[in-house]
Amino acid sequence: MEEDIGPAGPGNGTQPVIRLEGVSKVYSLPFGDVIALDKVSLTIMPGEFIAIMGPSGSGKSTLLNLIGSLDVPSEGRLYIDGEDTSELSDDELTELRRDHIGFIFQQFNLIPLLNVFENVEYPMILKTRQSIRKSRKAHDLLMRIGLTDSMLAHKPKELSGGQQQRVAIARALINDPAILLCDEPTGNLDTKTGEVIMDLLKEVNASGKTVIMVTHDPDVATYASRKITLVDGRIV
Amino acid sequence: MIFFELSQRNIRLNWLRSLLAVLGIVIGVAAIASMGILGNSLTLSVTASLSSVGDSVTVVPSIGGGGMGGPTTANEQITDRQVQQILRAAAPNDVVPVYSGVDRYEIGGDRGVVTVYGITPEDMAVLVDLADGVYPRTTGGALAGATFAENNKLKPGSRLTLGGETIRVVGILEEQGMGFDINPDFALIVSDRFYSHKYEQDGYDMVIVKVRDINDIDAVKDAIDRTLNRRGDDVVTVYDSRAILEVITEAFNQIALFTTAIGGISLLVAGVSIFNVQMMSVTERIKEIGIIRSIGTKRGEVLRMFIYESLILGGVGAGIGGILSFAGGYVVSIIMLQTTEYLFYPSSLVYIPYGIAIGLVVTLLSGLYPAWKAANLNPIEALRYE
Ligand SMILES: Nc1ncnc2c1ncn2[C@@H]1O[C@H](COP(=O)(O)OP(=O)(O)O)[C@@H](O)[C@H]1O
Ligand SMILES: [Mg+2]
Repeated sequence: MEEDIGPAGPGNGTQPVIRLEGVSKVYSLPFGDVIALDKVSLTIMPGEFIAIMGPSGSGKSTLLNLIGSLDVPSEGRLYIDGEDTSELSDDELTELRRDHIGFIFQQFNLIPLLNVFENVEYPMILKTRQSIRKSRKAHDLLMRIGLTDSMLAHKPKELSGGQQQRVAIARALINDPAILLCDEPTGNLDTKTGEVIMDLLKEVNASGKTVIMVTHDPDVATYASRKITLVDGRIV
Repeated sequence: MIFFELSQRNIRLNWLRSLLAVLGIVIGVAAIASMGILGNSLTLSVTASLSSVGDSVTVVPSIGGGGMGGPTTANEQITDRQVQQILRAAAPNDVVPVYSGVDRYEIGGDRGVVTVYGITPEDMAVLVDLADGVYPRTTGGALAGATFAENNKLKPGSRLTLGGETIRVVGILEEQGMGFDINPDFALIVSDRFYSHKYEQDGYDMVIVKVRDINDIDAVKDAIDRTLNRRGDDVVTVYDSRAILEVITEAFNQIALFTTAIGGISLLVAGVSIFNVQMMSVTERIKEIGIIRSIGTKRGEVLRMFIYESLILGGVGAGIGGILSFAGGYVVSIIMLQTTEYLFYPSSLVYIPYGIAIGLVVTLLSGLYPAWKAANLNPIEALRYE
C-alpha cells in the first residue's frame, strides 16, 4: 500500500479526515465474486486535493462510494472524521452524507422536479427540516459559483452542462461539508468548461475543504496535490 | 415540506395517469358511500312505514285447513267461537275480528273496485287513526283511507255507492303506510254489521291482536297457536308483522350489502390502478431516488415521499367521491324513494366519511409496497440506473 506523501500528508499532527485500513469490497455475482477493492489502506488529511486515477474497472468509483458512505466495506475499517462507519446504521450513514460530504457527479445529477434554486436548497432543507424559501445562503453560493439571478427559476434541463455542474457544486457546498467527492466532474464537459469547473474546485479546496476526485484525464489530475492510482482494486 | 412538494410536482408532471387513478378512487368511494346511503335510506323508510304495525299479531284461516269433523265452508273463515278462544288466549290484549273483501263502488259517476273492511266501530280506533271527521256511529257510516279519499276527493259527509248501496263517509283516515294486517290507505272501512248484513257473511276473514308489550308477541302467538290448532291441525295461521318486518329489513340489507360489494370491487380495481401508477412512478424515478439518497435523504423520507404521492391521489379521489356520493345518494333517493328525507339522517350520512376512509385505506395499502420498494433501493445501483 504505497502512498505518495502529499503536502498535507499524514505526519503533520492533525487527525486524518479519512482513514481506510485494509478495506476490501467484494461483489457477489452468480458467476463468482468480483473483488472491486483489495485490502486498500489509505489516509487522507484535511485540506488535501486528491486525484484517484486508473483504468476503467479498477475500482475508482467503488472507492469513492465507500468514502462517501454510500456503501460499506466487505472487510476492513473505514473512518470518516474519526468515526468507524461500519458501526453506523443506514440513517446515520445518510446523515453523514448529508452533513459532512458533498457529491459531484459526472452526469451532474440534479433533481429534475426542482428548479436551480431549489436544487441547491434541498440538502439544507433536509438538514434543517424547514423550507426557508429564498434563503440568502443558497443565493450567495449560486452567485459566487457564477450563476445569474435569471437562471434560478429554471429547471436543470434548461441549463448547459457547465451551468448544471456549477449548480451541482453549489448544492454540494450548501451544508458546509468537510469533504467534497467528485466522480469524473469534467467527464461530460468540453475542455474549456472543464477548466472552469476545475478552477472552481481548486478554489473550494483552497478554502479548506478536502477534495477527492476520480478522473482518468491526466490534465485534470494536475489540479490535485496528490495522485492515487488504482489497478485491479489495489493502490499502486 | 419538501417531500410533499416533490410528490405534488410528480403528480402534476404525470397528470393524465394520475387523473385516471384518481377517477378509480372517485368511482369506488362514490359507489360504496352512495350505496350505503341508499341502503340505509331504504331501511329507514321501510321501518318507518312498518313501525305502526310492528306490534300486531294476525290470525288468518289456514288455506286448505279446517276441522276434520263438521261441515266446512268453501271459503274458510274464523268463527265466533274461535274469536272467543283467541280473546282468552290473548288476554289482556285487544282482539279485533275483521271482515275483508272487495266490492264495486261509484262516486259521482266514477266507478272502481275498492277493498272493504268490516270492523266493529268500537274497535276501529285500535287499528286506525282519523285525520278528519268521526268514527261511524250508525251502520251507514264509513271511513275512507287516506289515498282512496284523496284520489276521489272525499271529505267527511261525502256520499258514495258501494255495491249498489249508498253509504256516507264520516271520517278520513290518516295515512298508514304499508301494513301487514290491513292496508287501509286504499280501502273503505265499514261497520261489522253493515258488512255481515250486506255480504251475508258470518265468519271473519282475519283476527288482529294488538299486543301492548312488544316483548309479549311470541307468547301471544304461541298461546293462540296452542288453543286453536289443538289437534295438530292447521286450523289457523298466526303470524306477526314484526317477523315480516325483519324479513323485509333483511332483504334490504342484502341489497345494500350487494351494492356495497360492487363499490368494494371498484375500490379494489382503483387500488390496483394506484399500485400500478406508483410502481411506474418508482421505476421511472430510480435514478432520481439514487440522487436524493446519495445527497442525504433517508429511507424513511423517500418512503414518505411516495406515500404522500399515493395519498394525494387517494385523498383527492376520496374527497371528490364523497361529494359525488352525496349527490348520487340524493338522486337515487329521489328516484327510488321519491323523498330525500332519509338522506340527512346521521345513519345515512355516516356512509360518506366511511366511504372516504375506506378509499384512503385502500390507497394507503396500494401505495405501501411501491413506496417501500423505493425506500429500499440500493443508492449506488439506483444512481447507475439509466
Ligand atoms: N454493484 C456492482 N455489482 C457487481 N459488480 C460491480 C458493482 N459495482 C462495481 N462492480 C465491479 O467492480 C469493479 C470496479 O468497478 P468500479 O469501481 O465502477 O470501477 P471504475 O470506476 O474504476 O471504472 C468492476 O469490475 C465492476 O464491474
Ligand atoms: Mg467509475
